[in-house]
Amino acid sequence: MPKIRKVLVANRGEIAIRVMRTCKELGIATVAVYSEADRSALHVRTADQAFFVGPPPSRESYLVQQRILDAAKAAGADAIHPGYGFLSENASFVRACEAAGITFIGPPAAAMDAMGEKTRARANMIKVGVPVVPGTTEPIATEAEAREYAQKIGFPIMLKAAGGGGGKGMRRVEGMGDFESAWRSAKSEALNSFGNDAVYIEKYLEKPHHVEIQVFADTHGNVIHLNERECSAQRRHQKVVEETPSPILTPELRAQMGEVAVKAAKAVNYVGAGTVEFLVDVHRNFYFLEMNTRLQVEHPVTEWVTGLDLVALQIKVAEGEKLPLLEAPTPRGHSIEVRVYAEDPSRNFMPSPGKITYLRVPGGPNVRDDSGVFPGYTVPNFYDPMISKLSVWAPTRREAIARAQRALSEYVVKGITTNIRYLKAILAHPEFVEGDYDTGFLGREHTTLQGVEDPKLSEMALLASAVYAHQRDAKRARTMPGGKAGAADASSGRISPWRLALRSRRR
Amino acid sequence: MRYFTKQQGQKEAVPVDLEALGGDRYKLTVNGVTYQVDALALEHGTMSMLVDGQSYSAEFEESGDEVGVLLRGQVSRFDVADERRLRLRAGTAAFSVEGKQLVTAPMPGKVVKVLVKVGDEVKEGQGLVVVEAMKMENELKSPKAGKVTELFAKEGTTVENNAKLVIVE
Repeated sequence: MPKIRKVLVANRGEIAIRVMRTCKELGIATVAVYSEADRSALHVRTADQAFFVGPPPSRESYLVQQRILDAAKAAGADAIHPGYGFLSENASFVRACEAAGITFIGPPAAAMDAMGEKTRARANMIKVGVPVVPGTTEPIATEAEAREYAQKIGFPIMLKAAGGGGGKGMRRVEGMGDFESAWRSAKSEALNSFGNDAVYIEKYLEKPHHVEIQVFADTHGNVIHLNERECSAQRRHQKVVEETPSPILTPELRAQMGEVAVKAAKAVNYVGAGTVEFLVDVHRNFYFLEMNTRLQVEHPVTEWVTGLDLVALQIKVAEGEKLPLLEAPTPRGHSIEVRVYAEDPSRNFMPSPGKITYLRVPGGPNVRDDSGVFPGYTVPNFYDPMISKLSVWAPTRREAIARAQRALSEYVVKGITTNIRYLKAILAHPEFVEGDYDTGFLGREHTTLQGVEDPKLSEMALLASAVYAHQRDAKRARTMPGGKAGAADASSGRISPWRLALRSRRR
Repeated sequence: MRYFTKQQGQKEAVPVDLEALGGDRYKLTVNGVTYQVDALALEHGTMSMLVDGQSYSAEFEESGDEVGVLLRGQVSRFDVADERRLRLRAGTAAFSVEGKQLVTAPMPGKVVKVLVKVGDEVKEGQGLVVVEAMKMENELKSPKAGKVTELFAKEGTTVENNAKLVIVE
């Protein structure tokens, strides 16, 4: 396969910028696509070329295959990187790229077919002897049927979108009482996010850990794993904090899970970067959950402890090169990633789109901020609320937690509400520090994680607010007519007192 | 000069006596304790505050009558008023929350589903409207048991922050 010279990134936000950064370092030209809501977005300016692809809703822009392909052709791109979400796990798009003679940086369509629909993936895994969570092998047609099956395997159960991923279209159901609303919202979210409202049922395991294995395969039949990521800190099935190594894995369990993950990838003739997700129960049994046939949001923690650039590796594999290593590297040190979301933890995590009036990101040793925003940017309400991923590295887990805390304390975002304080509370929580936190951790500790006030700091903040108000009022008095300085200004004839009065009233 | 600072979540306003000592220096008295404060205001609502040798970096953000203060990782919100402004405010005190309840959009987004119609009897906590923003669906629930008397929300329309959606009486 020929060298890739120009890549169109069929995505937006931080991941588009993440991919473009590696492309630049490799001397590869970059092409952005953008919707009407993203004209001012950072990825447009980061790219060498940019093409408009439609109105704000992603269904009318980022998900319209023909528009993306037209942009690629117009730009003369020889490859498309899909990022995550959007078209990244859409087999028909992979086929369309193939037909257009454009390299899709990702797995072949057949591997996506085999893993894409969750029920089909489960069937495929059962066939090759990979352990799976008990549940239906087919999507369920009616609510009545679903209720009957749930009754049979016993609550709690999970309703999951067959065509989904990334925590969308997924609901935990405790009993018959909340079945109807969960069924309705899972189906409607599935339809809105993936264009497919098929839903199936899985038994909900008690106190499970979400541990996933990064796999990589080349076109020469080599498949390796790059160890695990612990992603049990989840809220509404959205990952919030990820780390590697997992604090609960022994080297033996890591090797076993790695081996099974490689087997799963080989079973579907996988190529490129992929992630095999497992649930690990209290007895440290592990079950296949699903395979994500794309680059994951949380890939930076793997990059920190392996020293690899996974995007560069994806590009190399797409060019037909062999993997540079043939077995899993021993993890070096520890890495933690926290996701900064535009949402308000104290108002039930309500999304908080709006204008970022001021932004200061953390620095210092072994800190990485993958962000897609800038000061003055208005976070649109059409897309995912994640604005940045902050990741850190340190020799040990304890030091990595301290470093993540330090970095978060340097993070300042004004204009919109973020979950930064909530992230600090997670890292400080004894259950997290101790390391054995399951997927129920964030939900269970919701109240504690809202934070306890330090009365000394509140008093200092109170002093600060009084000084702030004093200085603000003094400044206003200077610019208002009737105020001493204001009057002097007005009499100088530059701005009429009428205009000044209007101005102050508008505030 | 006397200011009244009411922290969000607290019932009582705390009086703070402020005396400007010139430059960035202030004498502040709160709860019977007097502090000498060096408060240097910087750009973008940042303030460097030195108190008894302790160094604090404060970040301010105004929203409505309140100012949010970020200080050593903790966010506190205060409504600060001087005596004159406090008197002005007394006349426009907020309404009581009995009786009619207006449900508004808590963020800009799209109404994806209206679950009630005018005249419906609803229970407290019952879903009224589903609003989608940033790919997340949020079901807005009734704050009380009662009857839907007015319905402004329409499926498929975009709404601004604080847009009126439903009145439950």
